[in-house]
Amino acid sequence: MNQHAYLRAYLAGIAIPTPFLLVIITGFCVARYVYNIPIPIERVIMFPMAVVPNLWGLWNVLFVVLHPRLKLPLGAHGAILPCLLAPTGYAAARLLDFPIPGVVYHVISIGLPVAIILYYLVWKHLVGYLNAVLGIA
Amino acid sequence: MNDEEINQFGKKLRAAIPPIRRSELARDLWPDFLQKMRQSPSRIPWFDWALAALAASTLIFFPEVIPALLYHF
Repeated sequence: MNQHAYLRAYLAGIAIPTPFLLVIITGFCVARYVYNIPIPIERVIMFPMAVVPNLWGLWNVLFVVLHPRLKLPLGAHGAILPCLLAPTGYAAARLLDFPIPGVVYHVISIGLPVAIILYYLVWKHLVGYLNAVLGIA
Repeated sequence: MNDEEINQFGKKLRAAIPPIRRSELARDLWPDFLQKMRQSPSRIPWFDWALAALAASTLIFFPEVIPALLYHF
């Protein structure tokens, strides 16, 4: 268990968002194709489906790399990730001509702190548990 | 170092390290291991519960945040 620490960190990182994404994408597809919501979700579905899990894995690898030097707690490390994901997701949506609903701009001041709290809790408890199971923590 | 010195050196080394007399465990460690596994590994601090409650209440009062969060999860 002492070998391939980065690979184990990557796997522990992607283990949380990957199954959760099945639920999210199912919900998006049902909304789009069953209830005919007039938002072209298929243009940006790539972002939560491919970019987010990989970023979680790489973020956990970065934690393993930086932790001996910075000693930043895992929860705090995970709480930084929404600050990276939010502009990346916004940029992806704009590049793909996705019509961002106006309400998003009104709730961003609420959504970002909530995302930071949720990421802090998920990274501290769930990713931390997986890291401990895989002998990374 | 000649053969005689090597033999003397080996005798001194063997004399310094006592032989292992009991190779078996004094007691069964499996019950202790099981008890350790059944114990709760960690408790969630009150601060984390407060944060979770804050996030949940925010999502209840501002449900329009949920789609944006799902997109970024």
